Amino acid sequence: MRVRLRFFASLRERLGPGEVRTVRPGTTAGSLWDSLVRSQPAVGAVCIRIAVNERYVDPEHELADGDEVAFFPPVSGG
Amino acid sequence: MAERFEIVDAPIDPAGLLAAVGDPAAGASVLFLGTTRSENSGRRVTRLEYEAFAGMALREMRQLARQASRRWPLRRVAMVHRIGVVPVGEASVGIAVSAGHRGEAFDACHWLIDRLKEIVPIWKKEHYLGGTVWIGAQQGGPGDGLQAPRKRRAARSR
Repeated sequence: MRVRLRFFASLRERLGPGEVRTVRPGTTAGSLWDSLVRSQPAVGAVCIRIAVNERYVDPEHELADGDEVAFFPPVSGG
Repeated sequence: MAERFEIVDAPIDPAGLLAAVGDPAAGASVLFLGTTRSENSGRRVTRLEYEAFAGMALREMRQLARQASRRWPLRRVAMVHRIGVVPVGEASVGIAVSAGHRGEAFDACHWLIDRLKEIVPIWKKEHYLGGTVWIGAQQGGPGDGLQAPRKRRAARSR
């Protein structure tokens, strides 16, 4: 199945704005992040939050085909 | 409860925010403006630059206003965040709250800005004399945070 990845702020500067990626059924938001860190170890130092389809999720959240998965460094609005 | 939420890339109009929360049943309106400060942690700040995940940011702002209106008897809430470059002295965020009495208006406005800073997906990059840094990211550990200084000179102070 295919999911769309999006990155913001410091993550966007390192990984680009995002990409479409094919993942196995059963992939969780957290395991997808782990696979990104394996290929780009430098991003692993950032404490992140994950949103699927514009809602915050836990790392255990299971992804579905067509999901938009957004990875955030700590927010700093205001 | 009437509401107004916006992400804008132009200066914030405080009078417009106050007008948005005008209500004959309100006895108090509280307006908070967060502005770009010229100094942060000993660095001379030249400007801030904001980035938002706009759709989700607006959704989270609406959700915060709903939560606030369950905690306090509010009349109206308006929240606006500016993105892009925000020069020193200009507002990056504005929150206006009206209520029957000042106590709940002050409390709700304070709570809303605190929560906005905790959960709304917006990020600021500080440009200071000597470099740039994404605020918040440096708390994640080594390897993130301070980036290579830029050659560009600081913007003139306004």
